[in-house]
Amino acid sequence: MKKIPLYLVLIMGALVSVGPYLLTLNAAFKSKQEILTSEPWALPANPIFSNFGEVWSRYDFATFVVNSVIVAVAVTIGQLVFSTLAAYAFARLDFPGRDQLFWAYIATLMVPQIVTLVPTFIIVRELGLVDTHVGLIMPFVFGFLMPYGVFLVRQYFKTIPSSIEDAARIDGAGTFTILWRVMIPMAKPILGTLAIISFVNTWNNLLWPLIITHSESTRVITRGIAQMQSQFNQEYHLILAASTMALLPLVAVFLVFQRHIVRSIALSGMK
Amino acid sequence: MPNPPDTEPPPRRQGRRSRAAFEAYAMLAPSILGFAVFLIAPIVIVVVLSFYDWNLLSDPEFIGLENYRELAGDERALKSIGNTFYYVLLNIPAQTVLALLLALALNSKIKARNTFRVLYVLPWMAMPVALGVIWRWVFDPQYGALNRFLDLFGVDGAAWLTDSSWAMPVIASVNVWQYTGYTMLFFLAGLQAIPAQLYEAADVDGASPLYRFFAITLPLLRPAMLFVLITSVIGSFQVFDTIHVMTAGGPAGSTATLNYQIYLESFTQRNAGYASMLAVVLFAIIALITLAQAALFRKRTTYDFS
Repeated sequence: MKKIPLYLVLIMGALVSVGPYLLTLNAAFKSKQEILTSEPWALPANPIFSNFGEVWSRYDFATFVVNSVIVAVAVTIGQLVFSTLAAYAFARLDFPGRDQLFWAYIATLMVPQIVTLVPTFIIVRELGLVDTHVGLIMPFVFGFLMPYGVFLVRQYFKTIPSSIEDAARIDGAGTFTILWRVMIPMAKPILGTLAIISFVNTWNNLLWPLIITHSESTRVITRGIAQMQSQFNQEYHLILAASTMALLPLVAVFLVFQRHIVRSIALSGMK
Repeated sequence: MPNPPDTEPPPRRQGRRSRAAFEAYAMLAPSILGFAVFLIAPIVIVVVLSFYDWNLLSDPEFIGLENYRELAGDERALKSIGNTFYYVLLNIPAQTVLALLLALALNSKIKARNTFRVLYVLPWMAMPVALGVIWRWVFDPQYGALNRFLDLFGVDGAAWLTDSSWAMPVIASVNVWQYTGYTMLFFLAGLQAIPAQLYEAADVDGASPLYRFFAITLPLLRPAMLFVLITSVIGSFQVFDTIHVMTAGGPAGSTATLNYQIYLESFTQRNAGYASMLAVVLFAIIALITLAQAALFRKRTTYDFS
């Protein structure tokens, strides 16, 4: 019984935590007029779906979604492949300059995206990749997120006993076989973590698409929303419907995989 | 990799080592190439550009330390540095203390623990741009949920985002809202790693709950605390999306953080050289704070990078 105050506080906190989602979902089904006149927490008098339709017809929202999916999936795959290869070399192979190079990777974890933004823009411009999907993807795979991925996977590889590998080596397995057959299957939890972090970060990122893309055909959701916001400042029925559509996929993924995702986040904080 | 047995002849040993090195470089090649082009080169370029005057199009002009000198008299940039610290100070203590309290609550024996945990972490993965749009609506002085709610109690809510004394606390509170649950997970993992015997021993000694917290819990949470503080401080210095859609740095520059100021200087004012100088300053600030945090915690926390 003495826990009742604790429960009350926790429930109030949880309401604050999910309240904005519920209010937004609620508003997305209200007419332009009703959003302005009714209380935000009142349910829609006559739920309508036209706000969503208006977003899809006034904008090429389908293109935004497709672009966001292409970029986030490509970055996630790139991260998994290149980080795993590099992480294995750092964790297990012996080569000159290994520790110095690894420390250089770690040091760049402190460098914010904005610091390297202008030079990265110049480099991508020199490569002729402005306003292209490749230009959107490459700096994420190799720059903004890469050292973190290498660090995460390398630390995990370090915890796998090397006796398992030695056994495989005695059986005649080469380095790539060991990586593919022994290390990667054992490192599934951390690779899942890295996949989630890569996908979420790329999907949600606004800054890079804002700078490197300008045409409709390369526009991702974040940039689309930012643009709607500046165009239809007060047209809440449109921007809230668009925000609902932008948020729902990840919320759905989160609720389905919540156990795994919560464990993943905790795992990313280990050393 | 283990040393080969001594009986092996030297040439073979040499061969195996260089083969391992070759394999290592082959595996690292894409990563190193990317690292060089998209991280090392940009870092070098940003430092070099900070000594130039450049509009991103014409030929850059070398001006030595002029950008750095100009900073001393640039009220807007200096204000953005002040804004950044203000934001970090609003954000970090609130987020860290709330996350710790939440972790303690969810680590106790309560029902529906997992449900609470999921609900609190839910804001973490939400797209900050969409959140900015939503929160801007919630804080709308006329139509927003907050002022409508305050109305019920006869309280006149402020014009939150157009009031220069409220705008920054509002932006910071959105960040606290988004990351408290996420931060809580690291504390929760830390709490669960503390051996139960320690608490049992304290109970035998008749220690009060407060004493247990300060003598056992807090010291043993040091590694989690260090991780949380370092990552959330670095994250705080990078707030962009919510500012971009909620206030665009206004009103009267009150929410323009250094991060946002660099964006404006680079891509709306097109002062790439000056913006690069600001970027170098931002990096220096972050590096100093991170090193200071690491040094403060060093006594008892050892990070194992081996």
